Amino acid sequence: MAEPSTAGRAFDAEALPHLDALYRVALRLTGDESQAEDLVQDTMLKAYRSWRQYRPGTNAKGWLLTILRNTFINDYRRRKLEPVATDLEAVEPHAIYRAVEDVDPEGAFFSKIVDQKVLEAVDALPAEFREVLVLSDMEGLRYGEIAEALQVPVGTVKSRLFRARRLLQARLYDYAVETGIITPRETHDG
Amino acid sequence: MGDSIDCREAHARLQDYLKQELTPELEAEVRAHLHRCAPCFTHCRFEANFLLMLESRARRCGCPDRLRARIAGLLQAEMERD
Repeated sequence: MAEPSTAGRAFDAEALPHLDALYRVALRLTGDESQAEDLVQDTMLKAYRSWRQYRPGTNAKGWLLTILRNTFINDYRRRKLEPVATDLEAVEPHAIYRAVEDVDPEGAFFSKIVDQKVLEAVDALPAEFREVLVLSDMEGLRYGEIAEALQVPVGTVKSRLFRARRLLQARLYDYAVETGIITPRETHDG
Repeated sequence: MGDSIDCREAHARLQDYLKQELTPELEAEVRAHLHRCAPCFTHCRFEANFLLMLESRARRCGCPDRLRARIAGLLQAEMERD
């Protein structure tokens, strides 16, 4: 077996620690384990081949996730039936905090919902919301890094993120009420 | 200084505050407001707990070993070709 080159070793050291994050994001974007594996593999090969374009000292995780996201848009998304485009600006779900501040001000109910249900609720978000929420709140990318990866202004990232969280909270709250995890103190349904 | 923002502005900046995306000056103003306003502090804790919950759910799954091995093999082949 040949000794890896200096560039190869540098790539290994910078990129391999992010395989977990790449796989998690791929899983949320594709919604399918087998496609997620292919997407991560394609991403890593592309990243290795364009390693010279990586600027040392910048966030390798952000750089890799940008490649993953572009690969997903170009090669994978077409395979899936696209959901009807959501009028993103029109989505303004109400803040769940107002509904629970008297009964569960700390939001303990979130922790009582099993992983699978939380991830299903994330997967059910409109694609444009889901990707910013996953990159920001699940993988810890900065607004600026997400804006660069998505090629949108930072303001767009922030507004999508705000709506994504509100929507996710609303869906988790509905689930918690349906399953009796939380009991609303009073209802306003008349 | 440090106590010049009201609940409305603190609320508007909560998202950026929790993601540590504010300037140091604004961050100090939001923090000062949260320290003296119990309702805003409680709301902030709710949103922070939501974010902690999301982050912890994300971290529970990772790259399968077989994929890790497959990628290592492919990269090794690429490196040998270079």
